[in-house]
Order: sequence, then structure tokens, then C-alpha cells
Amino acid sequence: MHKLREPRVFVPLLLLLVLALFPILLPDSTYEESVLIACFLLAIMASGWNLISGLAGYVSLGHSVYLGIGMYTGAILSKAWGIEPMYLMPLGGVFAALVAIGVGAIVLRSRSHAFVIITIAVLWSVQLLAQVAKPITGGADGIVVPPPAWAKELGNIPYYYMFFAVLLLTILLAWFVMNSRLGAGLVAIRNDEGKAASIGINTTLYKITAYALSAIPFGVAGALYGQYLSFVNPIGAFGILTSVILVLAALVGGRGTLWGPVIGGFIIALANEFATVSAGGVSARVLIMGIVLILVVMFLPAGLLPTISAAIKRRREKGDTVKFIDQTAIANSRTEVDTSAISTRMSTTSKVENILEVRDVVKTFGGVRAVDGVSLTVERGTITGLIGPNGSGKTTLFNCMTGTFTPTSGTVLLDGENITKDRVWTRAHEGLGRTFQITRLFKSMTVLDNLVAPLEKTSAKQMVAGRYSGEEVDRAREILDFMGLSQFEKQNAAALSFGQQKLVELAQVLMLRPSIILLDEPASGINPTLIEKLANVIRRLNEAGTTVLIVEHNIPLVLSLCSKVHVLAAGQVLTSGTPEEIRNDPLVIEAYLGPDHLLEAPSV
Amino acid sequence: MQIVQVLAYGILLGGIYALLASGVTLIFGVLDVVNVAQGAFLVFSALFTWQIWDMFGIEPLLLIPVMGAMMGLIGWAIYRGMLIRVAPQGPGMTVLLMFGVALTMEGILNLGFGNKFKSVTPAYFTQSLNIGEIVLPYPQLISGVLAIVVLGAIYAYLRFSWAGRALRASSQNRDGAALVGISHKKAAGFAFAIGAATAGVGGVLLAIMYPIFPATHYEWIARLLGVVVLGGFGSIPGAIIAALLLGTMESFAATFVPQWAPLFFYGTILLILVFRPQGIMGSKTREDVA
Repeated sequence: MHKLREPRVFVPLLLLLVLALFPILLPDSTYEESVLIACFLLAIMASGWNLISGLAGYVSLGHSVYLGIGMYTGAILSKAWGIEPMYLMPLGGVFAALVAIGVGAIVLRSRSHAFVIITIAVLWSVQLLAQVAKPITGGADGIVVPPPAWAKELGNIPYYYMFFAVLLLTILLAWFVMNSRLGAGLVAIRNDEGKAASIGINTTLYKITAYALSAIPFGVAGALYGQYLSFVNPIGAFGILTSVILVLAALVGGRGTLWGPVIGGFIIALANEFATVSAGGVSARVLIMGIVLILVVMFLPAGLLPTISAAIKRRREKGDTVKFIDQTAIANSRTEVDTSAISTRMSTTSKVENILEVRDVVKTFGGVRAVDGVSLTVERGTITGLIGPNGSGKTTLFNCMTGTFTPTSGTVLLDGENITKDRVWTRAHEGLGRTFQITRLFKSMTVLDNLVAPLEKTSAKQMVAGRYSGEEVDRAREILDFMGLSQFEKQNAAALSFGQQKLVELAQVLMLRPSIILLDEPASGINPTLIEKLANVIRRLNEAGTTVLIVEHNIPLVLSLCSKVHVLAAGQVLTSGTPEEIRNDPLVIEAYLGPDHLLEAPSV
Repeated sequence: MQIVQVLAYGILLGGIYALLASGVTLIFGVLDVVNVAQGAFLVFSALFTWQIWDMFGIEPLLLIPVMGAMMGLIGWAIYRGMLIRVAPQGPGMTVLLMFGVALTMEGILNLGFGNKFKSVTPAYFTQSLNIGEIVLPYPQLISGVLAIVVLGAIYAYLRFSWAGRALRASSQNRDGAALVGISHKKAAGFAFAIGAATAGVGGVLLAIMYPIFPATHYEWIARLLGVVVLGGFGSIPGAIIAALLLGTMESFAATFVPQWAPLFFYGTILLILVFRPQGIMGSKTREDVA
């Protein structure tokens, strides 16, 4: 247990121990206990919120709706069944999670602005429903909850320990999520959702799971909180102010960290208490919370913990010189590397000759027919090129193949299967990998983290699995070695040059064991030496059995690499053929350079 | 006849919503910021109107330019002092910042005015215009008509003036506008000022129609968001159509199913954002280029 000696492990554990012993060491401190209970509750909520908003980056401003749902679950069922709400805590959690799954399936389709507003609207709607549904909820008057059965002398101590227990469970849940593939996937979603989908992460499932998990601590705590307050009413249960304060707590401590929201919960609950007691009551409280929120957003947006740890890291790294990086050594693929790391999944088993085929694909934007009835094929085991002047519809066609767009009409076949309507991540699972013209690595993650992020399939087992499994890390290292990128393993992706990032992105796609890779302008924006290396890597990948489709403007590169080239112009296939044929085709020259050029060309 | 009465009421109400929501949508269009403090701006202006009216007995409608200018100045200061710093951090943080502004204003108003309803009651407060069987109370009539006039002026300004064209350019393509000499910061500050000024004008109009107290800003922002979402974020014509639609709907709901009236706004927000996130007039943009 050498880990226990690290301050970041033992400091929080020690503090939790102090909190566990507090009522025993200092009996008769009812007021302090009630303040600490408020701290626990806010820490629970901030930690729960952190799972969807901190990890996945979907800022919810109405999350206290799940506290209210827990409160009402406890109060209504306790009245119906004649038991105390505190025993209904698990049910509060279950019910909150169920509501969250329903709401999440709808609201998580929206992003950024829309999502924030929807979460507020949900809170207000539920509050209104609680006011209107009088027979069940008691309307605006609410429901009175009976006091607990324990002896009066115990005071709030049982509540203290119950809230404390819920807090511990919440921290445990958060720890578990953060150290699982689910957590890694959520961070990937926060970084770049479209990219996350392209490497096989089922973003919808991941987001809804995180949203539901984030609601559970609220529901559990809510059932208890209702009894603690001894009544439940719409204004108290579904307050927008509670929602804002819990977000503030998570912000202050540090979104996306394990302990940040907990620390923030304590800080803000104490500040709240101080404002209410010492600075003039509820009005002052609103004012102070408002000012604190403004100050935190302006001056401490990352939160306390990340800011402090960044400062410590900077101090430690002071004096470390930046190492010279040998650009040319990169991608010198090494012959001794075992190519099983880059092998594909299905190249040998399938009998369909055309691994990728598009038939009569049309994609319109308003009145513009960007792709106008394109049919073409990519033969298994080839390197195929797709070229065409700007605006010819290359990128749109590419996006129809990868699932970014759904074609207006026409079909896309992968390995003979119709994938026209498949989601982006399903295509990744089926063996279609893609890179982006402008790289979309997860910039806040290391190169190795980027490589272990892709998922070959979606399964519950995988979601709860640890962040790194040995086998995947080994494969990631082999691939990095194959690409000559090993020395960057621990670098942040953002620290690499653009060309290096392109190689890392290709390595990342290889983790999916794709049977076909679609490269979107791989050579744009990188230097000629690196282009050469890249061409080598593509050739070696192809030798190992991977089919490659390249969309590129660098015609010499395409003509030297590809065995077949399709030329698009004005949304249609102009011609297809071998590089030789394409090079000498007057139609192609005309499409690229215009008819005038063609008239003069022969005379030169 | 009741139908016509309710309809007339709804259109007047819609006119006021249109003015108020146009501020929110203008700010969003140019700055990409959801100004959840617009409700607080409104209440701020309304309570100051009450204060001045209470002290001097001055005709509240005369305060329209004063409050408009005051809120415009405050809005500009908020943009230059705070928003400009936070804007690069994205929509989540700017919403939180504006929420902080809203809470701060609510707190200030709570301390200054107390948590009580305040009503501005000029002489015409209880009078109404009778056309046949239709009864139009003067406060509603005056506010509705003035709102439409002010909104028309703003719209014409944005449409036909050089500054308005600059704003529209900056909202459509920030970098492109910068290349032809339109400073985004200036355009954004100006847009925020105009947006806040509509709340200043709206606050005066609200003050003569409704009793106001600080925490009512939540109700107002809920309504405004409903209008803006339905109309399509950033589209002023969309906001006007949506405001008239929702105003009429609310007027009918308030007559026939009063307790459900607020749900129209929340329900609209939910339904629209889920099924047609771009609203009536908003445009869907390409997202794949990133």
C-alpha cells in the first residue's frame, strides 16, 4: 500500500476520517452538525453533477430536479406505504435514474446552448407539474413528512451519518466511473464528440449512462433530505438556486476531478451558511452567491484543484529543458516490428470483392446538389484514390461514407452490408476507420491515452472495465513503435506538431483493427519529408492487408500510391482508372485547370 | 366576442414579448451568448422606474429613453468588464457568468427594494379603451403599441444603418467581418448594449402592467427563452413571430386553463429544442468542417 504515502491519497482519507469521528469527538454540537450536513449534501450534488457536466462537458443547470424527484419519491411513497422516507433512499435513486434515462434520451440530443436551456426548462416544468398535480403531490402546499423514530437525544447524528454515507458512496461511484472505460469515453466526448464517435465510442449510450448515474446520488440524498427538512414543496424541491449553487460548488473545486466537487461543496456550503447567518439573511445570500459565481467564472474557471496542481507541476518541471525532437526519425518504420499489431479483422474471411461501394449517392444542401448520383467501388486490398477540384463533392461523399452525413438518397455498402443509415460508431465497429483533414486528437490527453481510447465494440463489460487493460496498452505501444512514434507516448497530443498529430491519428485508427481506412487529405499541411514517411506507412499498412481510400489534393502522391483513382467533378464521377490513365486524361486536366489550359497545352 | 378580446390581448402581449425577446436574440446572434440575465435587466429597470415614479410622481412613460440608455450603458459595461474575458471559454461558462450577473442584480434589488411587490399606478392604470364589447386596458394597450413602435425602430436601424449592417456582418462571420474592418469587440459591445437597452425600455412597460418584485426575473427569462427558442436563436423576425404566437397562446390559456399557462413556455422550449433545434427561422449550419 505504498500509494497511501502520496499526499493526494492520504490527505482526503484523513479528512474523511476526521469527519467520520466528528460527532463522537465533539458531542452536543448540533449546529456544527447541521452545517456539515449541508456541506455533505452540496458535495454529493456537486460530485453527481460532475459525472455528466464535468466529465462529458454537458453543463446542466437544472440538475437539482433529481434532488426534488428523490424528495417527492420519499415523501409520496412513505405516505402511501406508511414507512419513513429514509428507507426509501434506494428507491429515490432508482426513480431519479429512470427519469434521467427518459429525459436524457431526449435532451442529450442537443448540445451546448440548447442543452443548458433545456435542463432549466425541465426543472421549471417539473416544478410546475408538482404544483398542478395536487392529488399526488399536495400542490403548492407540499407534503409534510413525519419525524424520524429514533430517540430525541440523538438529534441529527443519525442524519449526519446517513448523509456522510451517501457522500462516501457518491465519491466511490465517481472514482469508479473516472477509472473505467466509460470515464475515458466521457472525457473523449467532452474533448470532441464527433471524433469520439468516429473511433467507435457509442456517444449516445455513454452520455445517457453518465446522465443517469449522475442523477442517482441526487435521488438517494433527496429521499433523505425530504425527511430531514420534514416537508417537501415544489419551491424547495425544484429550486433553480440550488442548481446554480451546486454548479458553483463543482466549479470552485474543479470540474472533472474526483475531489474538486467535494471540496467545492464544503467551501460553498460554508460560504452559504456564513452569508445567511452573518451577512444579513437570504437576500445577502443571493447577492454573495452571484458575486462569487461571477468571480469564479472570470478568474478561476478551471477550479481550485486543477489550478493548484498545475502550479505544482510547473514548479517541478522548472529547469527541465525541452528535448530536441528528431523529426526525420519519425515514421521510419522498423522492419522487425510484428505486423500482427496492425492486422485487420476480416480481410480474409469475407468474399465480397468490393470492400466499400457507394451506389447512386446524392446529397443535397438546400438547393445545392453537392454529391449528384455518385457510384464507385473500392476493391479489397487496394490503395484507392479519390481526387477532384475544390467543390467537386469529395468531402461530402467522404462524409456520407463515414456517417457524418446521411445521403439524401443512394446506398453505402461496407463488405456487402448496407451501412447507409448506420451510426458513426457502428461503422467503426464494422471495420471502417477514418482520419481527419485537420487532426482531431483529444488534445488534453497523452498520445498513449489517445491510442487506447478507441473501442472495437460497445459492451457493458467494456464500459466498466478499467481505463487501461494490459493487452490494449501493449498493442498501442506496438503500433507507436511501428509508426516510429514511441518517444512521444507520454506527451500531450497538443504538444506535437501538426504532421506528428496526423501520424498519431492514423495510429489511433489502427487500434480499431479497421479493414478499410479512409484518409482525408493526409498530406495537407505537412512537410515533404513527412509526406514520404507517411506514404511508406500507408504502403506497409496495405501490405499487411488493410484497404486504404485516400482523398487528396497532392496528385503526385495519389498517383504514386494508388492502383486505382476516381476523379470527381461537380458532384459526379468524371472518370476512374489507373494512375497512368488519369494522368493523361484530358477531361481531368480540364476539370482541374479549365478549358483554356487544355487549348494551349498541346502546343507547348 | 370573447375570442376577439382574448386575441387582441394576446397580440398586445406578444408585441411586448417580441421587444423583450429581440434583445436576447440579438445578443445571441452577435455574441453567441445566452443572456439569462435579461430577466434581471428587465426587473432592474422596472423597479427603478417604480422608484422614480414613487419619488417624483413623474409620468412613467417619459422614463423610457432614460431607462433604455441606462440599461444600455450597464449592458455595455458588463460586456467590456466581464463577458469579453469569459467569451473564449464557450457557451457553458458564459451562461454561468450571466447567471451570476442575474443573481447579483437580484440580490442588489432585494436589499434595495425588499422582497415586496411594487406597482406603478399612473392615472390611466385602471382605465380602459372600449370598442364595442372589446375592453382594452390602457396599460396593456399603451405598452403593447409602444413595444411594437420601439421594436420597429430597432429593426429598421439594424436593417438600414451602417452600424446595423456591421452588426449583422459580425454575427454571420466574425472573422470575415474583421477582415473588412469591423471590430468584433466593438460590434459585440454595441449589440449587448442594444440588447440590454430593450430590457430597459421593456422594464418601464412592464412596470405599468404588472406588479414587480426582484425574484420575478426567473419568470421573465423563462418566457423570453421560450420565445427565442421557438423563433430560432439569433433571428429577430423569428422572435417576433414566436412572440406573437406565444403571446396569443398564453392569452387563451390564461382565460381557459389559467394554471397551465406557464407550461406553454417550458413545453415550447422542450419540444422545439428537441425536435427542431434551429427554431422557426433559425438556420442549421454545417458542423463537419471543424
